Amino acid sequence: MRSGVRWLLLPVLLLPVGWLLFANIGVDPRTIPSRVVGKALPTFSLPTLDGTTLTDADLVGRPAVINFWASWCGPCVDEHPVLLDAAQRLGGEVQLVGVVYQDSPERAAAWLRRYGDGGWPDAVDDGSLAIDFGVTGPPETYFVDADGIIRDRVVGPVSTRAMAEGLAAIGVDAS
Amino acid sequence: MLPTIGHAAIVVALALSLYATLAFGLGARRRDRSAVASGRHAMLAAFALAAAASVAMMASLLGHDFSIAYVARNNATTTPPFYSVISLWAALEGSILFWALLLTGWSGLVLHRYRNRHAELMPWVGVTLALVSAFFFAVMAWPGNPFERLTPVPAEGNGPNALLQNHPFMGLHPPLLYLGYTGLAVPFAFGVAALVTGRTQAEWLAIVRRWTVIPWIFLTAGIVAGAWWSYEVLGWGGYWAWDPVENAALMPWLAATAFIHSSMVAERRGGLRVFTMALVVFTFVLTLVGTFLTRSGVVASVHAFTASSIGPWFAVAILLALGGGLGLLLWRLPALADRRPPPLAVSRESAFLLNNVLFLGLTVVVLFGTMLPMVVEAATGERISVGAPYFNAINAPLFAALIFLMAIGPALPWGGTSWSTIRERFAGPALLAVALTLAGVLLGMRGIAQLGTLFLAVFVVGVLGDEVVRGARSRARTRGEPPPVAAWRLATRNRRRYGGYLVHAGICLMAISVAVSATGARQAAATLDVGESMTIGGYTLTLREVVVEPLPDDARVIETRAVVDYGGAQSGSLATAQRDYPSSTTPIATPGVRTFATEDLYVTLLQADANGGAASLQVFLNPLVAWIWVGGFVVVAGAVFAAWPERRRLAMAEVAAAGRRDAPASVPAEGASP
Amino acid sequence: MRAWVGPLAVAAVLALGGILAVAAITGPRAEPVAQTLAAELRCPDCQALSVAESRTAAANAIRAEISAQLAAGRTADEVRQHFVDRYGSWILLRPASPLAWLLPLLAIAASVGVLGLWLLRRRPAPVTEPAQVDDETRRRLAREAESLDG
Repeated sequence: MRSGVRWLLLPVLLLPVGWLLFANIGVDPRTIPSRVVGKALPTFSLPTLDGTTLTDADLVGRPAVINFWASWCGPCVDEHPVLLDAAQRLGGEVQLVGVVYQDSPERAAAWLRRYGDGGWPDAVDDGSLAIDFGVTGPPETYFVDADGIIRDRVVGPVSTRAMAEGLAAIGVDAS
Repeated sequence: MLPTIGHAAIVVALALSLYATLAFGLGARRRDRSAVASGRHAMLAAFALAAAASVAMMASLLGHDFSIAYVARNNATTTPPFYSVISLWAALEGSILFWALLLTGWSGLVLHRYRNRHAELMPWVGVTLALVSAFFFAVMAWPGNPFERLTPVPAEGNGPNALLQNHPFMGLHPPLLYLGYTGLAVPFAFGVAALVTGRTQAEWLAIVRRWTVIPWIFLTAGIVAGAWWSYEVLGWGGYWAWDPVENAALMPWLAATAFIHSSMVAERRGGLRVFTMALVVFTFVLTLVGTFLTRSGVVASVHAFTASSIGPWFAVAILLALGGGLGLLLWRLPALADRRPPPLAVSRESAFLLNNVLFLGLTVVVLFGTMLPMVVEAATGERISVGAPYFNAINAPLFAALIFLMAIGPALPWGGTSWSTIRERFAGPALLAVALTLAGVLLGMRGIAQLGTLFLAVFVVGVLGDEVVRGARSRARTRGEPPPVAAWRLATRNRRRYGGYLVHAGICLMAISVAVSATGARQAAATLDVGESMTIGGYTLTLREVVVEPLPDDARVIETRAVVDYGGAQSGSLATAQRDYPSSTTPIATPGVRTFATEDLYVTLLQADANGGAASLQVFLNPLVAWIWVGGFVVVAGAVFAAWPERRRLAMAEVAAAGRRDAPASVPAEGASP
Repeated sequence: MRAWVGPLAVAAVLALGGILAVAAITGPRAEPVAQTLAAELRCPDCQALSVAESRTAAANAIRAEISAQLAAGRTADEVRQHFVDRYGSWILLRPASPLAWLLPLLAIAASVGVLGLWLLRRRPAPVTEPAQVDDETRRRLAREAESLDG
């Protein structure tokens, strides 16, 4: 091999390796970017805990917050006060909807009696609505604007700040 | 008090390793033996300090000292002593401390053992090992301080990661793996020393091969133990998921295996030096990459720890090791170039070369698949996955080709061969393999994976067995020894060759078991009331009872246990459980496993209703899985046999020959010398 | 060793290869489509397992959805796309991009090719062996030389 040329191998190998190593630092592999943000609400028609039926048409016309939860989900207990607070203060501007995820209606109802029922409808999902939203696991919260377009998504328990940001994305001022 | 001692020990050890780097460097430049000795003593002191820090951490864990953040995160007052002690390697900071302990231990051992030999190489070996040790101490001094304090001191800690306190194997599998990882710094250090000094002849090769085989043994044992742990703990019925952490251990293993084979050709022909040297560098860099992948939170994995700030440190270390090793190699390239003619196409050399290409191919596929999500994410922001279906599809043919080479390679003569030799060595085993494969078809084996692997494995074992029988017979004839004695003496006089055969036989056993268990497993799921039954493959399983109770040694952990009676070819009962740990949001399943000679009955509790006395069970009937562990044991035993020091035996023989029957039982051995 | 053993072995191996090929094509290992699909989809709420192997809530839901869609007459590709539309290509454990497959295979094929060319490169004419040494002696010598090395 001719002298000198071989040293080119060093930057050729090291630069991409370095770029690759540093580019990924700080990226959390557990959060998966959502595919549904920016898209329209999927169509659905599901029974609710109080015996009525909830469809996607019910949600169009007013900003909505859709929260996937289950009685077996620990972090759902932590985020529940944030949802109750939002419902109480902003119930006129935004509609909250719960979706019971992979759970029995009886257990879900018992959970609500224990941790506080905010009075919003809770649809019981057989699993396919959660898949339509690309839910990875409860709790997960989606913010839908008045036109029925999904605008934001929070994975894991919703904090007061995440709630305010999500509401801002659908044109509701939470302050 | 303890955390102060521990932290001080780490800081002083950092200073000592930096001092040792300088002392070794000076010693090398000025040929100053006292400077080299001083560096060696500093490294031994660094090992002692790492040991002190580790003991301080273990004592803090045992004493539940929650003023240390690491203890508060990974321990609770109820954690049993055994799991407290092994929590040293249960999370990031502790595992780096453990790593530094093993690394300085290997360094001290090597520097001490060769203190009076290889005077040219050793100072540079010392520089490299001291520098690598200094890196780990520096990580602990800044971003990953294991003794970081916590105020206010919590009354109770989080407890260890639930997955890691569920099975005593956690006490075995990480130390084995870490011994392997850290040990691979030694061949890297010798490689660097050989390149710096220009002594790239046979001298370094023999040492480096020995010091690659030793960590290789630990790495192999650690990987098999990890698969076993995964099988016994995770409850999904399998043992290998191509999880990034598993890949992180597999990649250096593959590269080290390639090196062990290429070094034999290099030793035999004197060529291949560039390639062999590059493999040594590559293997060490892969151990760092594995740590980077698994310990800095850039990949999603069962084992991944939370994102931490050590990522940039490891990224820089990887670049330095890769750049340094490669730079030295390029610098020495003109002197290393191989101008010999290539070996004959059908010879042992070329079989070994093909073996190397395939092993490197496997390494590259695993590396590529593991890193691809990172590349795509960094380039496009899109998140993709690379999982078991990908790795299985690409790697299975490569593994099959390697198994084929395992039969061909060792049986072909060095230098070249003739058609008559090929016929003599391979025709019989090939006929045997065909016959047994047809027998396999009659016995109900189906599918290309099972039958193809069976054919290859029988072929390999046939060729190897033929070699051993042939050699033993010839020795028995010429020396008049009884055949078993001749076989044993033949093997112990040529440990590398026959130990290698045993390793290959163990790999074949594992290959058959993996192929059959991967394609022949049966599963069934059912929800049973107490007294109800389900059937799977000739077994009838009856739910006897469902019990919910706190663990006797840790009342905060609630265990739901289903007891199942089974009947069929064997009968008995087993328990499968779910444990609710306070530190985990989802319950951790403990599968119930019964191992029979040809299959495992594996029951996982999915859900239980204690009041109603019902349980949902997932049942697997996994054929031959136990033989994977047996095969792993054979591989390790073969490698230990091959690496067993030969001089000790010769020294003993000399003592015996001198007629000194009063010689002490342990002759001062020049054991691990090449 | 008798002269017919070699050809017989070759014939037997070829015959076996044929049997294996037929077994691979017609074998009873055709798994149910639902099972194959489940093994290719990543479980969203665990880390490295497929939904076929996992029993978490999301994995159960996805398996049920696969069965429902197949029962409704959708093809495997349509079902796969259904999940990609909702979860992104992240859900596929078998990356869809052909580059992911071609690059490593090309790299291996190229390395094997380079090795092969190097081995078959022209070399000095082989030294002709002395005629008076018979095969048996040469084999014995080779064997003994080998038992000396590792």
